[in-house]
Amino acid sequence: MNAPAEPPPPRSALRLHRELSAIWGSGTGWQRLASVNHSVIGRRIMATAFFFFIVAGLLGMLTRVQLATPKGMFMDAGTYNQVFTMHGAMMLFLFAIPMLEGVAVYLLPKMLGARDFAFPRLTAYSYWCYLFGASILLGSLLLGVAPDGGWFMYTPLSSNTYTPGVNADVWLLGVTFVEISALSFAVEIVVSILKMRAPGMSLERMPIFGWYMLVTALMMLVAFPPLILASILLELERAFGLPFFDPTRGGDALLWQHLFWLFGHPDVYIIFLPMAGVLSTLIPVFARRELVGYTMIVVAIVAMAFLSFGIWVHHMFTVGIPHLALAFFSAGSAIVAVPTAVQMFAWLATLAHGKPRWELPMLYIFGFFFVFVLGGLTGVMLAIVPFDWQAHDSYFVVAHLHYVVAGAFAFPLLAALYYWLPLLTGRSASPRLAVPAFWLIFVGFNLTFFVMHLTGLLGMPRRIYGYHEHDGWTALNLLSSVGAFVMTIGFGLLVIDLLVQLRYGRRSRRDPWRATTLEWAMPLPPPAYNFASIPHIDTHGDRMAPGHVAPALARGEGYLGFTRHGWQETLGVHMTSGVPDQVIVLPRPTYLPLILALSTAAAVLGFLFKAYLLSAAAAGIVAALFVYGAMGSGLKRDHGPLPIGHGLSVPPHTEVVGALPWWALVFALVADATLFTSLVFGTLYLWIAAPAWPASMPPPDLGLAVGAVVALAVAAFAARRSLHALRAEAAPQRWMALAALALFGCIAAVLTLIGALLPHPQEHALGATASVLLGYIAAHAGIGLLFLLSNLLRLRGGWVSARRCTDLRLTRLWLDYSAVSGAIAIGLVLALPSLVAMLGARS
Amino acid sequence: MSAQVVPPSRLWLLALGYGIWCSALAMLYALHALGCAFAWPAAVLRTVLALVFLAHLVALGGLWRAYAGRRADAADGATGSFFHEVALWTLATAFVATVLTLGPSLMLAACV
Repeated sequence: MNAPAEPPPPRSALRLHRELSAIWGSGTGWQRLASVNHSVIGRRIMATAFFFFIVAGLLGMLTRVQLATPKGMFMDAGTYNQVFTMHGAMMLFLFAIPMLEGVAVYLLPKMLGARDFAFPRLTAYSYWCYLFGASILLGSLLLGVAPDGGWFMYTPLSSNTYTPGVNADVWLLGVTFVEISALSFAVEIVVSILKMRAPGMSLERMPIFGWYMLVTALMMLVAFPPLILASILLELERAFGLPFFDPTRGGDALLWQHLFWLFGHPDVYIIFLPMAGVLSTLIPVFARRELVGYTMIVVAIVAMAFLSFGIWVHHMFTVGIPHLALAFFSAGSAIVAVPTAVQMFAWLATLAHGKPRWELPMLYIFGFFFVFVLGGLTGVMLAIVPFDWQAHDSYFVVAHLHYVVAGAFAFPLLAALYYWLPLLTGRSASPRLAVPAFWLIFVGFNLTFFVMHLTGLLGMPRRIYGYHEHDGWTALNLLSSVGAFVMTIGFGLLVIDLLVQLRYGRRSRRDPWRATTLEWAMPLPPPAYNFASIPHIDTHGDRMAPGHVAPALARGEGYLGFTRHGWQETLGVHMTSGVPDQVIVLPRPTYLPLILALSTAAAVLGFLFKAYLLSAAAAGIVAALFVYGAMGSGLKRDHGPLPIGHGLSVPPHTEVVGALPWWALVFALVADATLFTSLVFGTLYLWIAAPAWPASMPPPDLGLAVGAVVALAVAAFAARRSLHALRAEAAPQRWMALAALALFGCIAAVLTLIGALLPHPQEHALGATASVLLGYIAAHAGIGLLFLLSNLLRLRGGWVSARRCTDLRLTRLWLDYSAVSGAIAIGLVLALPSLVAMLGARS
Repeated sequence: MSAQVVPPSRLWLLALGYGIWCSALAMLYALHALGCAFAWPAAVLRTVLALVFLAHLVALGGLWRAYAGRRADAADGATGSFFHEVALWTLATAFVATVLTLGPSLMLAACV
């Protein structure tokens, strides 16, 4: 171990800037494709999301043209179905969710006092996955084979029988591709917030935006897996005939709705909370006083997060669920307004007790208050079951969801855009075009969507491509369409405004808004390394004076105000207290994420075109690239504590227990466990609710089933022993070989069980669910083998030692989880015959 | 900075109250579905649901009382106080949420 040495003496700010720029820079020309820097990727995500917003907006306009007059001939029914489906799917999956991720990726490290995100290569990979997944959806639109079953793809309409082409497959595969990227972002956001704040920034000092994003990312980890599972199940049904949603073969179409809305309803709050975080950040700046009720807002965020998961059934009030159960969800849907109101009143109190400045972003904040309150009120109306029965699937719901989504997302986002524009571009906003743009958007929006409440109450259903004059909806539809054009002109003006400012805008001075958060304590636009040295936080993260802090940081007077070995260094801290506990050495630019995402896209496209061998080969390449990518990660020797400045020394991230990959795997397993729980729920739901189930089921081979569980337990045990051996500086390879052998045995046993399942998985949902439960075990055992292979290669390469043992700890954690979930899955498969016998046959 | 490092495991405290609310909702919804599927007598089903509902209320109330009855450990500093306050409020509001969202519904017809 090296003795801690004092850091080099302070350099001049300019020299430090040059040294750090040389280390953190992303290169030029084609090298830009190798960039992994969070500022670059964050800007790319936001720009891509904005592009899809424009496309989705234009699609929305097409629907308004079609509906402007009765018996519209602008589009035929098939095209209209694709247009409105893609409008919704793009707005939700390709604009709103990625945009909030882009905002988080770009802002969070700056706001929390870090130089980058936790896993830069994963950030880049996630972006490329989003781009390629989104491109598949966009390409399908151009080719006329876009999804056409509505943005929530209800079964049985989206099943093979009623949608035989590739339209639904495009949605299932494209959206799942994008969702997996979103899950990766969620893991990154959680780990970065918990482990990469500036020293001294304990959790109660964290900027409120950090709390909003932390809770949002945790929600994403739990909300997205049910949708991913639903998409996998429906794709398995469409591609291989496993009948999860087919009631004639023991499936149930309503299972899709449950799984979809387990994602879909929390998703509304996943979109809202980051923007509420924006409002909680901006309002104090413009009110010139600190946010009222910081602690109560944290309580409200936690409450909203949980309540939003408990009300998914309010999208299903008309499907025939008993009244008693409906009442749970009706009451929950109404009560979720309370934590929302807590935040509203906190913002109003902040404004009332401050000295508000009426600057440009405040216009959009006003727009938010007006629109969102209306959307919230109609939400409470729809939470009441009898009213929902009347308004369900009518334009009233269309109006409500646009008021909520635009109010919750679009208006705060535009406030954020103008607020952080100087940070993004280094140029100031000018009100000359921005103010008329706002009023056109605001008036156009309300004209378009307020009128839709009335159209809906007059009985106009959603998703129709035409109507008759005698329906009485003509004038209202025309008004909506005129409003949509006014709104579009407003957005057009906004785009022109942005382009003009990018080209001719005045150079912004540092901290133009006299803000109170750290992202302004850096030059504009920010350098690739964010902070020349990392600040020590001794006050609340929302009450900083960035203008005063910045010069000292630029001179290198904070932590890590020097360069070392050409490393990209930032600090990791203790989760709650913010005490520095590790130096994190981040990876340099690489094309690997791009190549990996291209391979993933090949696997997805192979599946889409039913070229399953090609898809499997591409998936194999993806797995190999993951192992290859891990090869050069970390440090190749033990370093011991490294000086970070201010007389402190901490070990590098490779030598600590709470390393970032460890936490990443913990949170990834939370998502994995949610997917597994959803699968168990799906199995039990079909058992209780699906028609056409038999009176009995032949039991699976008990010996094989027990053998699979024992093999998983042996693998987990061997992984533990290999870690012990490594820590004792003995050879762990023999234990690793035993673990690998056990995993191979488990896979063989499970595949044999699947092959012998009765009823056959293609004949009945009973066999299909059992096969997926068993397949889940095989997949985990397979990934366990990849872990072991990576461990072995890294041991040989000298990347792992008794002190640098994170790799083996990760494998142990993975195999522990696999053993526990595998035992539950096997237990459920073994219990199925008894469960079936318990309920008896039903038609 | 805090006088004493608050262990990360205490982050779970923030989720405790509403975690219990979630458990109550999930158990009541699942038991209700089971009871209806197996055609339990309405009185039996309602009693089972009421017992589960009350068990969750007791858990929430007990935890709230336990937290309200003691101050945050001064050695944990500002972080400990913050966690204590958030845990206390989430427990209290989760109790109210449980009563309002799940209680009155139990009086409705069981499986109609």
